[in-house]
Amino acid sequence: MLVLSMTVALLAGILLLTASFAEHLGQGKLSEAEKRSEAEAPDGRDGKLHIFVGGVMLLAAVTALAAAFGEGRETVLFFLMDRIPISFRLDDVGRIFLVLTVVIWTAVCFYSFKYMRHEGEEKRFYGFFFLAYAALIALDGAANLITFYFFFEFMTLCSMPLVIGRGGREAVMAALKYLFYSLAGAYLALFGIFILYQSCDSVAFRAGGVLNQALAQQNQGILLVAVFAMLVGFGAKAGMFPLHAWLPTAHPIAPAPASAALSAIIVKCGVLAVIRTVYFIVGPNFLRGTWVQKVWLILALITVFLGSMLAFLEKGFKKRLAYSTVSQVSYILFGLALFTPQAFAGAILQLLAHALVKCALFMTAGIFILRTGKTQAEDYIGIGKKMGLTLWGYTIASLSLIGIPPTAGFIGKWYLCQGALDAGLGVLSYLGPAVLLVSAVLTAGYLLPVSIRGFLPGREEGDWGPKEREKADLMTVTLWFVTILSLLIGLFPGHILAFVNGISDAIL
Amino acid sequence: MREVFLVIAVLLPLIGGAGISVIPWKKRGAMMVYTEGVVLLTSALAFLLILNRPAGAFTLFRFTGQLSISFRLDAVGSVFTALVAFLWPLATLYSFEYMTHEKHEKVFFMFYVMTYGVTLGISMAEDLVTLYFFYEMLTLVTVPLVMHTLTKEAIRAGRTYLWYSLGGAAFAFIGMIFILVYGNTADFTPGGVLDAAALGDKRGLMLLIYVICFCGFSVKAAMFPFSAWLPKAGVAPTPVTALLHAVAVVKAGAFANIRVTYFIFGTALLRGTWAQKVLTALTIFTIVYGCSRALKETHLKRRLAWSTVSNLSYILFGVTMMSPLGLMGALCHMVCHAVMKICSFFCAGAVIYRTERTYVHQLDGLGRKMPAVFLLFTVSGMALMGVPGLTGFVSKWYLAKAAVAEGGLLSYLGIAALMISALLTAVYMLGISVRAFFPGQDFRYDSLGEVSDPGWKMLLPLWIFAAVMVLIGLRPELLTDLIGDVVYSAF
Repeated sequence: MLVLSMTVALLAGILLLTASFAEHLGQGKLSEAEKRSEAEAPDGRDGKLHIFVGGVMLLAAVTALAAAFGEGRETVLFFLMDRIPISFRLDDVGRIFLVLTVVIWTAVCFYSFKYMRHEGEEKRFYGFFFLAYAALIALDGAANLITFYFFFEFMTLCSMPLVIGRGGREAVMAALKYLFYSLAGAYLALFGIFILYQSCDSVAFRAGGVLNQALAQQNQGILLVAVFAMLVGFGAKAGMFPLHAWLPTAHPIAPAPASAALSAIIVKCGVLAVIRTVYFIVGPNFLRGTWVQKVWLILALITVFLGSMLAFLEKGFKKRLAYSTVSQVSYILFGLALFTPQAFAGAILQLLAHALVKCALFMTAGIFILRTGKTQAEDYIGIGKKMGLTLWGYTIASLSLIGIPPTAGFIGKWYLCQGALDAGLGVLSYLGPAVLLVSAVLTAGYLLPVSIRGFLPGREEGDWGPKEREKADLMTVTLWFVTILSLLIGLFPGHILAFVNGISDAIL
Repeated sequence: MREVFLVIAVLLPLIGGAGISVIPWKKRGAMMVYTEGVVLLTSALAFLLILNRPAGAFTLFRFTGQLSISFRLDAVGSVFTALVAFLWPLATLYSFEYMTHEKHEKVFFMFYVMTYGVTLGISMAEDLVTLYFFYEMLTLVTVPLVMHTLTKEAIRAGRTYLWYSLGGAAFAFIGMIFILVYGNTADFTPGGVLDAAALGDKRGLMLLIYVICFCGFSVKAAMFPFSAWLPKAGVAPTPVTALLHAVAVVKAGAFANIRVTYFIFGTALLRGTWAQKVLTALTIFTIVYGCSRALKETHLKRRLAWSTVSNLSYILFGVTMMSPLGLMGALCHMVCHAVMKICSFFCAGAVIYRTERTYVHQLDGLGRKMPAVFLLFTVSGMALMGVPGLTGFVSKWYLAKAAVAEGGLLSYLGIAALMISALLTAVYMLGISVRAFFPGQDFRYDSLGEVSDPGWKMLLPLWIFAAVMVLIGLRPELLTDLIGDVVYSAF
């Protein structure tokens, strides 16, 4: 089922890209003006494209969900060097990521219909959108480290063009920056993989790790360096300091659906990579108490604070959200570095909450930009009068990101703090919750003013903005869909917690 | 007497190539058919020889005593032979279309075909003397190709190439003399030929000689500090830069180093000595140096040439590991890099052929006009970076594996160099692709004029190379099983 879903997305992606190319070759003969008029004419072809894209998305989503709720059998595609199989097997961690990916990707897909019509280059966008989806599904289901790495690079390469959209030279440069940071991270990780490979019994993911204990004792020094290289390398994707700089460049400039997908899912692949490396290859016991754990915790805390602070100082709305992603994803990494069950549960909850919430926030940004054409956070004064539907969605999502009960963000952060205090790491155990608290205050400081001034403009109210009251359309519906999902997680976290505890029992 | 076919394989392109300039051609078509015929026949013969490898050697003539020109095809030689036999017909096909925009075709094809014979001579040489003989000849037959355009720049490049190569060969010559004195024989023997009794306390001296000899052969393999000639030689017509300066000539240098290291001096003498460390360090430095220069270079073909410098040192890095795994990595990369780099050079050539654009910043937006060429350029770029699923990852895997198995600071530095190089490769290759496909919305496509993909003679080789890259990338055992056997026979 998993492979089927991937194949569907892959074929659709290739088909759309070919179509996009053919269009361009044909268009070479048209003049610029003709091209523009053709792009703006709302003709029937648009509808057909949307039906095709929507259909493929639903098919891919349904098959992937069927795989997620089915049993995890191993499927081997082919073999690479040393007879290492490229194979898939869904385990519980994979299931969480898979469901999350499918939900967000479907939501973003339907959201983007309207947005991308304004942006243009739709076929190319959906082509790479599906290719990236196929890669993500493969990442979630990967059964060993080499398969994972295989699709990790594939995913980087496919998601890079999403950033460009209809942008000019600046967007291309941002995309390249994203690409090169990601590749730098990937190669840093590969360096670690090469070294690790010699000391592992196999490369298949197994709860508790696959290190050969005798060899691991012998080569402890170099192995720790290797693991650290992998953490920093994969951390680049998750926006962890010091390789975080691509994120605030690439996210704001991408079209809103792409930013939502990047921030919600692609960034999380870095997290998944870290989980796989630490809990399924190396094993937490190998790292507990070593310098790697401490440096990792410190890097994560630096990122949490740095991201929040920069977001607080930032005026551009989408760039602010991007810095916020930098900060919030490192909450997850912080939780993963603690090696306690509560922290792990907190990390997973934070992961789910942040994915949904940040998706909603970027969707809001897209709607605002599309309706008003303004991009600075201060511009949205009084916007709630005409666009209340969107702004309410934004506000609820914001509360969750700040961590106000009873939202999902609150539960995640609660567990994170509890885990930190239980971990017994001396100063770091106390420093962690303190940083999280400061960051929460900053988060409130950079998210809520938009709501407050949007609803309560005071005397500053200008006569700008959309003339008509907004109606519920596909964009607002998807926005509310993800917002409500994030609320539901906050209100009924029991099932998820039980599921996560099952995982952490096995790996810790 | 199957051995005689070894000589025929070497002589056929030499004589057939000379024929191109002698026969008075009435039609261009006839010359093309003849040229391709000679090359294909030679390749067929080469593959037949590889499949039914004659056990013995064939001595063409003997100067005196040990000094003779003799041929024998062993396992390691077969790898190089198969590589050139696969690439030469495709490159020749590509040249037919490309050379329509250059002059003096007859001279070009004469030397192009003759070089094939000389390269086969290197790969099938039985002993160091024969290898050396053909190595010198290789320089002589390729100099006219470098100077082909006869511009001032080309002549200067040809001269630089000549001085470098002859100088390198002189170093190699010193090594050869010592081997003739201290070796049991100059024939290539797995494990080396040095005579322990005759060597006595001269082990230290032998190490020095080895380093000199290795550096001499490394001139053609463009190891730092002998790499400057290669980018300069980029002025040659693209088929020359692609086939000779990315595969035949430069890999002949690497191949000679494999011979010297594993079959003449022997790893038993060299492993763990200062000689090994110095050379490994040099190759590691070259890996990074070549990439950095490539990044700085804005001329497309020179950029690819610098990338070749870096990649050749991957091979030499594997060679200096002096372990079965290292040799495995070296041979894998020899094959993989040949396919990848010839593909990217041919794409660059197609762009030059169609648009006369040679600088990187002139390529913006061309991807929309020449989709096939730039798609294949991207594929080869990704393969060079080592994206899994393409050839580059396979060879990098074995090189890194060899380095980790070796252990020690230098090996880890080597892996780090491989990774840095991969990143820089991404920057200088994918940067081009991305900007060719996505020049930004404000780009005016009118400025490109009417350009399109070239004809089938240029595209067919490119598609074949791409197919090979994907095939080996996804089914590496097709390559690695073969090379594994080869490596086994060398130890």
